[in-house]
Parts: sequence; C-alpha cells; structure tokens
Amino acid sequence: MSIRKKIKRILTLALTASLCSVMTITAFADEPYNSYSYDSWEQPIPSQSAYRISATITGYELGLSQLRDPSSPYYVSDDAVVTLSGAKDLFCDEDAREFWIADTGNHRILRTNEDFKLIGVYYGVSGDSEINKDEATGLSNFNEPMGLYVKTSMYTNEKMVYIADNKNARVVKAKLTTANTLELVQEYTKPEKELYTQTTFNPSKVIADNAENVYCVVTSVNTGAVMFARDGSFTGFYGANRVEVTAKVIAQTLWRKIASNDQINAMERNVPAEFNNFDIDSEGFIYTVTEKGNTSTDAVKKLNSAGYNIWDNNAGNEYKFGDITDAVWDSVSNKKHNKMLTDIVIDKFGRMNVLDFETGRVFQYDKNANLICIFGTKTSSADQRGSFSQPNAVETLGENVYVIDGSKNDITVFTTTTFGQQVHKAVNLYDEGKYTEAVPYWNNVMDRDGLYTLAYIGMGKASLNQEKYTEALDYFKTAYDRKDYDKAFKYAREDFLREHFTAIIIIILVLIALLIVRKILIHKGIIVIHERERI
Amino acid sequence: MYEYSTIGWLKHCIFHPVEGFEDLRWKKKGSISVAITIVAFLFIAMVVDHQLTGFAYNENYVKVFNVVPLLVQSVVYFITWVVGNWALCTLFDGEGTFKRIFIYSAYALVPYIVCTFIAVILSNVLVTEEAIWITAVQWLGLGWSLILMIQAMRAAHQYSFTKTLISMIFTVVVMLLILFLAVLLISLFQQLYVFIYQIYTEILYRVRG
Repeated sequence: MSIRKKIKRILTLALTASLCSVMTITAFADEPYNSYSYDSWEQPIPSQSAYRISATITGYELGLSQLRDPSSPYYVSDDAVVTLSGAKDLFCDEDAREFWIADTGNHRILRTNEDFKLIGVYYGVSGDSEINKDEATGLSNFNEPMGLYVKTSMYTNEKMVYIADNKNARVVKAKLTTANTLELVQEYTKPEKELYTQTTFNPSKVIADNAENVYCVVTSVNTGAVMFARDGSFTGFYGANRVEVTAKVIAQTLWRKIASNDQINAMERNVPAEFNNFDIDSEGFIYTVTEKGNTSTDAVKKLNSAGYNIWDNNAGNEYKFGDITDAVWDSVSNKKHNKMLTDIVIDKFGRMNVLDFETGRVFQYDKNANLICIFGTKTSSADQRGSFSQPNAVETLGENVYVIDGSKNDITVFTTTTFGQQVHKAVNLYDEGKYTEAVPYWNNVMDRDGLYTLAYIGMGKASLNQEKYTEALDYFKTAYDRKDYDKAFKYAREDFLREHFTAIIIIILVLIALLIVRKILIHKGIIVIHERERI
Repeated sequence: MYEYSTIGWLKHCIFHPVEGFEDLRWKKKGSISVAITIVAFLFIAMVVDHQLTGFAYNENYVKVFNVVPLLVQSVVYFITWVVGNWALCTLFDGEGTFKRIFIYSAYALVPYIVCTFIAVILSNVLVTEEAIWITAVQWLGLGWSLILMIQAMRAAHQYSFTKTLISMIFTVVVMLLILFLAVLLISLFQQLYVFIYQIYTEILYRVRG
C-alpha cells in the first residue's frame, strides 16, 4: 500500500468518524435530514428539529384542475396547465392570510387562501398597456413573472399587487378589482435616463415601501436595486453591495497604479456582486441577500431608508449567515459546500429566515442574528418530502414556514414542533429583554436539547438580572459567551469585594505589620541575613 | 566580587542585567539542574497560560487540550535555540560552551516565566476593561527577558553588542533550518518505515504462499 493510499485511507476514516459524531441518526424522524446547529466554536452539533414537514402542496392540492373545468369560475381552457412550472416566488399577504404564487413557467399569478385552495388566477392585467397585448382577451399578458409583492395602499386603501414581469421588461403595479381580474395602475419600464447604463431591464424581484416607492432587483444590475417613485419616475439605485476584498482585487489595485490607460481598459473590472433578493419588514427596513457562492461581504444586509447597511459596524460584522463550516453535506455525492443564499423573509416576530439554494436549508435567526434553527435539505434523494431540488423562495405565515420548489413544482409546509414552539416563545421574550419571563421556556428547551447554546445565554442573562452572579457566570461559561461572562464577572467581583472588605483589609494590615516587625528585628540584629558576604 | 548561593546567583543575574552574566562567567557559576528546572517551568507556564487564563481573556481553543504543540513551543524551541546558537557561534569565535549557553539562556527566561504567571493570575481577577495591566505585565516580562538574553549571549561568547545582536538574529534562521531538516528527516524515516513494513508483508505473503 503506497503512502498516499494510506493517507487517503486514514483521511476517509477520520472523515467518517467525524461525520458519525456530527450527524447522529434518529431512527424515528420524519425529516430526510438530521437537524443540527452551530456551537460557540462554530462547529456543527446535532440538535432537535424545530420544524417538521406537515404537507407538500402540488398543483393537484391547489385545485388547479378547476382551470380545465368549464363549470368553475376559474375556467381558462381545456388544455390549461394544471401544475406549477418553475415557480420563482411565493408571497404571503399576512393581513388577508392569502398566498400569491408567481407561476413563472406558466406565465401566470396564482392566488390561494391559507389552506392553499385556489381563489384567483391571473394571466395578465387589464388597462392601458401595449406590452404583450392579447387580442382575444384584451389583457396585457405576463411573460415569466418572477417576483411578487402585495400591499394595501395607504392612499387609496386598495390592494395593490406588484409584479416583476421579467421578460416583458416591466414592473406592474395593479389593483385587485374582482377575484379574477387585475387592473393596471402603474407600469414601471426601463428608465430612459443617463444614470441607468444597462441596455436591458429584466426585473426579477420587487417590493414596495409604505410611501409606495417601488424597489426592484434587476438581472445583471450590480449598482443596487432600481428605485421608482409612486408616480413611476426613476429615482435612482438603492443599497449596492461593496466589492469583496480578495487577494485578486488587491493585486489589481496595485497593477492599476503602474499600468497604462490601454492596459487598464483591458483589465477585468472589480465590480460588486449584485444582491438577488430582498424583503421589507414592518418597520420599513430592507433586508438583502447575495447569492454569489460563498460570498462573505454583504451576504445579508439590513438597509435603512437611505440605503445604508446598519449592520456595517462591529456587532454586525460578526453576524454569520448560512452554513459556517465547509461541512460535507451530501454523503452520497460527497459534494462540498458553496453556500448560495437565495431568499430572505422577515416574519412578523422579526425573525429572519434565510434560504440556501445550494443546500436547500432554511436558516432561522432572531432579529440579532442569533441562530435559532436549521431545517430543510437538498440531498441526492430529492424525491423525499422536505428535501428540495430548486428551492426558490421562502415565506412565513405565523409560525409556519413555506418553501417553493421550482423543479419539483410544489410548496413544502413546515410547522413547528413542541421544541420549536418553546424556542420561539423563549427567543421572543429574550429579544424583548424579558429575560426572567423567558426562564421557564428556556428550561423546556434545555430539557429537549442540552446543547442549545442560546438557552444558556438566556438563562445567564436572567440570573444576571436577578443578581445571582455566580449562577450567571456558570451559564455563560457553559455557553462559552466570553462577553457576557465579563459583564457578570464585573458585578460578581464587586459583590465579592463588598462582602469581604473587612477581611481583605485585615490581611493587608497584618502583612504590613509583619514586614515592619521583620525589619525592626533585622535592624536590631536578632535575625541575621546571610545573603551577601563580601570577600 | 560577591559569593552567592545557587539561587542567589540566579537572582543576581536577573536584577543586574549589565554585569550579572559577566560575574557568573568570571566565577564559573550557574547550575545545570536549575537551568533544567527553569525550562520545565517554561513548559508549565505555557500550559497554565493556555488552560488557566481567566475565562473572559482566554481566546485559546480550549475545547480540546493537546499538550504536544505547547511542548514544542517551549522545550523543543528552547533546545533548538541552544543548539543553533552553539552551532553558529562556535564557527564565529564564540567562547560559549554548549552547557554555558544552555544555562545562560535558561536564566534569561525567568522574567518571562514569572510575568506569564502573574498575567494569568491577574486575568482571573480583572475584567476586560482593565486589560491594559495584563498587557503591560506581559510586555514587561518579554522585554526584560530579551534584554537579559542579549546580555547572556554577550557574556557567554564575549562578543561586542552588535555582534551579539547579529548572532542572535542568525540563530533564529538556524533554528528554522534545524526544524525544517527535522521535519524532513521524520517524514523520510516514516517512508523508510513504510518501505520496510511493505517488504515484511510481502515476505509474509510469500512464506505463507
């Protein structure tokens, strides 16, 4: 056996051993993956499942067969497609508890209630538009709609639907007139301004804020989201990413200093990766995700209305999203990791759900980017429920999480387990600063998963609030939270000094007295020091 | 001139950086057993620094404790230093013997070891806002030991100041060389071992036939 073979063998063995230790096998689990989490050393450790798969919704469950049924109000034609096809976006209207699906491959928008029963299908918008006009119906048809956003207008109190109509090179703002018809309100097309230098305008994602400014992610525009005012005028770009500093970029910057103009023009330009998706929370902050493989710069940003990343500070720079280690994630294909964060959604509790396209995992964080749980997968056995092939979008309604798959053409519904519910209750209280109220829930969490780091930090903060410092120190040490330990230690030390003040003073005084006595004795010649003897 | 006990000489060297080591050389003093003890304490200081530093300060990966890197960082580095210095300075008119370099270098390390212990104790009673004290103690130990080391090498080899500095810098280069060769040698022997083992298994197969 050659040495290389031997090394290979040892490596394989070590890898298997580490895999075995990382991923425990739970024989009764429903999910086609092993739940895990990250510990304080940023290494994967097994965890309890916080979510379980409760249903998968396909075209059949949606009731798309009604599209072929002449007696149904949703009847389209006898050969209408009754499955989803390459669906790119899913949106949940939390107030109305309705879902909107961008059925991209079939060029239509579907609207369902919270149980995913069809309540509307839209192939185009009526109104004053010349783009992709259908002579038969008089509608301006959609062409690969890729993004969706629904919001009730604060001006007119009507339900507005924003659609990123990709191949038609426009963003449509339409209002819902009847259950089955959309009427065009405003059309946002390619800005005819010098500032917009791209030749194409293919919007893929869209959101709108309270003032009905429309933000859209446009394919191959890396200067940020394209922003339109309510009246349809182009107002600029919003929240561009920064260039990731790599060795290559630094080398190029140096070369540029000495190269001639012609040479510089021939060089590859250092441009930032564009962000691919975003979401807006109830307070109006916009969260962006960048899909570029393994990018560390601006992978997830939280932007204020001026487009400034408010996580661009010491605390924010330590936030980590997606998988941290390059763990081997598919034991069959032995594929290595290349995280691609494709979608983000902020639920009404302020929790962030980030979807990794490459691994099919949903990472749930609280509002301070503490990891709550990880679920979903994309193994080679993509046929199983809960494992994805092309996870395109993630959505939430209440505690539930929904993931739409553009290849399996279905929607997977994740509901919380008892463990997940306890974690959510505890985290909500924790984020509000109600550390003491969260204690019973943290206890429940720890009963189910003794390796849940956040539980120990929560318990520690509760103890700190109740001035039980030694207990707090213990919890923080277990969680390996050095920062909070330091805070607790400051109080613990103060407490200790106050309690033992007299004893400490007495010891110091006695020591000083002993020294003085010794000096006197030496001086009088009673103690003789033999240290130095002159020769 | 003075006459001290063994420990007294050590104290004299540490607190008299200018003439301490010259006195030591003149009197032909310095104990090899004390020097070995100091090196042992260097190793202990490393372990203590790794394991017992106050929790808020300890940035080491304490999830797994591996003693080998610490042993290498203390004992192996020290021995390489002594061997390298001896090998270099013998060629450049240094008067130091191997034993003398060993003893003098070890004596010079005492402030660093003591300050490491003090820093570890301080890190257990101070919060991170007061980290400046610990840094100060650590730098004090390092600087003091460096000055002592320069003086020790100067006395050992009877060099001028500049020549001492140059010889010390080149000693570091020699250390790297020695370590490189050692790694090379180890991997070569490993291959040799594998080769012999293969022949052994081969013969075993033939014999069993």
